[in-house]
Amino acid sequence: MTRYLMTRLFYFFLALLVLSVVTFALNWLFPGDPLTNMSGIREGQTAYEAALTSRSFDSTIIQQYLNYLEHIVRLDWGLSLSTGTGVWQDAATYLVVSAELLLLSFLVAVVVGMPLGMLAANYFRHNIDKFILTSAMTGYSIPVFWLAQLLILLFAVQIEWLPITGQINPLYAIDSVTGSVIIDILLSDSQYKLAALQDATLHLILPVLTLSSLPSMLLLRITRNQTIEVLQKPYVKAARARGLSQQRLLFRHALPNVLQDVLPQMTFIFGLMMANLVIVEHIFNWPGAGAWLLKAIIERDYPIIQMVLFTLMALILVLNLLVEVYRGWRFPMTREERYGGY
Amino acid sequence: MDLLDIRNLTIEMDGPHGRVRVLDKVSLQLKEGEVHSLVGESGSGKSLLAKAVIGVLNPLWDVTADRLWWNGKDLLAMTPKQRRAITGRDMAMIFQDPLAYLDPNSTVAEQITEAIPAGDVTGTFMHRRIDRKTRVAQLLHRVGIRDHDAIMQSYPYELSEGVAQKVSIAIAIAHRPKLLIADEPTTAMEPSTKDQIQRLLGKLAVSQNMSVLLITQDVASILPATQRVSLLYCGQMMEHGDTETILNRPAHPYTDAMIKMSLQAHAELDPKSKLPSLPGAVPTLRHMPIGCRLGPRCPYAQKQCVKAPLVRHREEQSYYCHFPLNEPES
Repeated sequence: MTRYLMTRLFYFFLALLVLSVVTFALNWLFPGDPLTNMSGIREGQTAYEAALTSRSFDSTIIQQYLNYLEHIVRLDWGLSLSTGTGVWQDAATYLVVSAELLLLSFLVAVVVGMPLGMLAANYFRHNIDKFILTSAMTGYSIPVFWLAQLLILLFAVQIEWLPITGQINPLYAIDSVTGSVIIDILLSDSQYKLAALQDATLHLILPVLTLSSLPSMLLLRITRNQTIEVLQKPYVKAARARGLSQQRLLFRHALPNVLQDVLPQMTFIFGLMMANLVIVEHIFNWPGAGAWLLKAIIERDYPIIQMVLFTLMALILVLNLLVEVYRGWRFPMTREERYGGY
Repeated sequence: MDLLDIRNLTIEMDGPHGRVRVLDKVSLQLKEGEVHSLVGESGSGKSLLAKAVIGVLNPLWDVTADRLWWNGKDLLAMTPKQRRAITGRDMAMIFQDPLAYLDPNSTVAEQITEAIPAGDVTGTFMHRRIDRKTRVAQLLHRVGIRDHDAIMQSYPYELSEGVAQKVSIAIAIAHRPKLLIADEPTTAMEPSTKDQIQRLLGKLAVSQNMSVLLITQDVASILPATQRVSLLYCGQMMEHGDTETILNRPAHPYTDAMIKMSLQAHAELDPKSKLPSLPGAVPTLRHMPIGCRLGPRCPYAQKQCVKAPLVRHREEQSYYCHFPLNEPES
């Protein structure tokens, strides 16, 4: 296990390093002058020459990269070009807002996708399976931005069950402390906590539904295929020959073996969700990192773009690491397959 | 009363080329504590027979029988739940490739523990825990694994084939079944392991008073303790009876050929002489001969053989042939 852990950690840091090189290179890849991109100081301004030396533009590129790395480690991402405040200070709330949306959607995707996938596999080629698979294909083929608008039209405009956009009705006057509405409400001393919580939940439904639709359908299909495969494995047959019930077969013998191969796919699905996050947050006017990134791109606020890109990608890497470590611990066979030992 | 009583078991399935009868009126009786070997080449339907008894056949296939009785109870008339209860309580099965038939993501201890009946361990939670652990160790000892602590914590991929087969036998005998079906348990094993497993099975049959239905491909690898033998060919029963009698005085040409083949494999052959075998090859499911399915390959076949022969008896053996060999001189 130690060797496995060390290898995984090594690859994790290697990937982070590559990622930092890419974000560092962005400074030069963005159109325009690199110094202007980073600091907002234009050529010809009096501070330009001083900034050139203070940002060590006169030293080698390696030295500059090392400086950059040092700043990353200190979480110093510079100042936003549009607001002039520290990027990292702003980022905290934006990231928590997005994390709330992402985690809830991911949870919904797992809770909806995996059981339905197993159900479909259990009724392989029966009508239940066909129905689930057809619905999954339909859900899978609808583009997220269009689905969001359809849902708004139906639930918010036509039958008026749910609010159109936003996190919560501003009349509840909940101060944004952490960024996550639900935690904020629980922390606040408002006398309408329960009503506020209900309102926030109603606001959450549409974005979560939109964001979780694609991942849950993907997860459904992966789980279904994997379960069908596992159910045909000899050890499941042997368990069946022991007179075990179908439920016990599915949950005790098939599920762990299905998870073994579905888990790595979850990272991939999480990455997909990050991409859709930007769209969903923009449509539902959600004050998260995705919408912030989009705004930064439009305003050419390069430090923010760099930070959000790096953080989102690093998040995927962290998740990947966690999944790999859990998988290696719970399913020792995977370690064996990969490294031929511990 | 026989423990297992099968009369005219027929299994039919719908293939791409029409309906195929994969098991054709097979009868088999098994007494309590009896070691019975079922011999047949691949495709003869011997595994299907085992699966029909255990009740794990594809539900789309048609299973009909005049009798499929377990201890006097009709298995075919039962609901799947009752059937599972009987299978889980009284029967067990081990397979050819033990490593593939063990769950790769549970330890040996977990898998054996699962097979121990819940009623066997009582007391508080901790008591049950300790009880189960001792039971697992006992079971491992019983199948001849001394190093139980290390094996209990192992995952199947860490085991050798012989040990894995012993573990699957331990799982199989955990609930003290009345019948153990061994589906080619030693086919792909090296000789010493093969010998160990065969001895173990024979020993367990006696010590646990357990019937064993051993499924093998050739006459040479039937258990030394075998009391009765049945031979299947292409889904038809050829001959069954007492081991001694069948091996010494086979009535059916197929039995005769099987015995000769397994003997000749060890005997010295003249240069360039042919290995003794039946002419032709096993027919495919599409082209099953009518009547006696051995017909086209049988050196003694005549016109009559297009009609399926009825069962005939001779002292300790029963056979399905119009022209039996080794008839006693009267």
